[in-house]
Amino acid sequence: MSGIQEDDDLVFHKICALLEPLNEKGVKMTRDTDIIADLEIDSVSLLDVVMDIEDNYDISIPVNTISEIKTIGELVDAIHEIKKEQS
Amino acid sequence: MSLFDKFEPTAKLLQSLLEASPRDPFSVKMDEMKGPTRAIVEGQEIVLAGTNNYLGLTYDEGAVEAAVEAVKESGTGTTGSRFANGTYSAHRQLEEDLAKFLGYKYCMVFSTGYQANLGAISALATAPHDVILIDADCHACIYDGCQLSGAETIRFRHNDPESLDKRLSRLGPEVKGKLVCLEGMYSMFGDVAPVKEFVEVAHKHGAYVLLDEAHSFGVFGENGQGVCEAEGVRDQVDFYTGTFSKSLASIGGFVASNHPQLEYLRFSSRPYMFTASPSPSNIAAASAALKRISSDNSMRENLWKNAKRIHEAFTQLGFETCAPVGPVIAVKLANKEQAFMAWNVLMEHGVYVNLAIPPGTPNATSILRLSVSAAHTDDDLDIVVSAYTALSQILSKQAQEA
Repeated sequence: MSGIQEDDDLVFHKICALLEPLNEKGVKMTRDTDIIADLEIDSVSLLDVVMDIEDNYDISIPVNTISEIKTIGELVDAIHEIKKEQS
Repeated sequence: MSLFDKFEPTAKLLQSLLEASPRDPFSVKMDEMKGPTRAIVEGQEIVLAGTNNYLGLTYDEGAVEAAVEAVKESGTGTTGSRFANGTYSAHRQLEEDLAKFLGYKYCMVFSTGYQANLGAISALATAPHDVILIDADCHACIYDGCQLSGAETIRFRHNDPESLDKRLSRLGPEVKGKLVCLEGMYSMFGDVAPVKEFVEVAHKHGAYVLLDEAHSFGVFGENGQGVCEAEGVRDQVDFYTGTFSKSLASIGGFVASNHPQLEYLRFSSRPYMFTASPSPSNIAAASAALKRISSDNSMRENLWKNAKRIHEAFTQLGFETCAPVGPVIAVKLANKEQAFMAWNVLMEHGVYVNLAIPPGTPNATSILRLSVSAAHTDDDLDIVVSAYTALSQILSKQAQEA
């Protein structure tokens, strides 16, 4: 995976793909989608999705960071920042 | 936007589940206690099969007498904290007895098990230089301890030492202290941690291990020291936390360690300092229960015999259990609605177990959590098995109709 320069869009699509199985109401996902309020995903399920993201990008995303994230866009930005820090 | 808006979605969900439920599983009231495994609820005698009374000592003669005696001698409450006014010789004696029983040099008694984890974690790890790594399925009090500490907190996959290894490897040189938190046996599914492997991984990276044996103390290991004893690594656990409200049949909590610096927590752990100490009767009951556990293996033997019987019966009935034989035997249901229905069926048949639904459960599963007690009689277990038999018949009938 390393070596491939993933742009913003690819991270966004990856997150959407991981959230899709939990998106029971079929809400259309954008950068502004509130993960917990709009998708009706509980906080623990969100933490589990983040664990998949961590393994996918080989990064660690602290719980402290996740609790400050509301939208998909914020999650995408956080992943980019952590990827930069931890690489 | 009111303060209460955020509760609405959960309140609505609960309301819709309760509409179809003859009883409210989350507000069962014991009108009268009939012993460690029986109570009267709305006029019906039921078997208690959801408590954490693993060794069944809540009515132990010695513990009851000691508690009564302590009230008479030392009063009903300490009205002080461990830090000021609230440490009696009995609190100190229990710390010594626990340390001795577990084979550690130091021990601190807290007012609850919740506060023991909260107090240990929040004092040991601090922002911005320390990092806490927690098993994904850790109890709420471990999560809350992390939050109170403010230190960066990273989850690793449940019971997966390799996942911990990866996350420890990613940490940069700026990280000072590393604290790994896990549990011996997890309370919801009853599954047991590979503590030996976790300890090896943590120590390889220079991390400390905090092991919560709340549900496994008194239950696992040759001497009842917990899962770490069973795995042969008791002396390698840096911080052993536990509770009085399960096998010790009282209320309170503790942290034990071989690190002399544990004593520093007495003036730096807020959940230790800023709350009242356990009352004399709580301490006396826990002390008496500990004495009994130290000298009598029969409760543990009974517990495992009972657990084996129930686990075998459930497997034969076709239930999907969440873990191998152990004191917690949880069965998976298809969804929340089915779990509510199943819980009601068991109550009708005189058996009270715990209904647990997401997000309080791992992997978004809905379960009925049964816990076995050494005090369960053959009669109690007969009632449990016949209730689950009735439930399995209803479930298979419904499956055929669907």
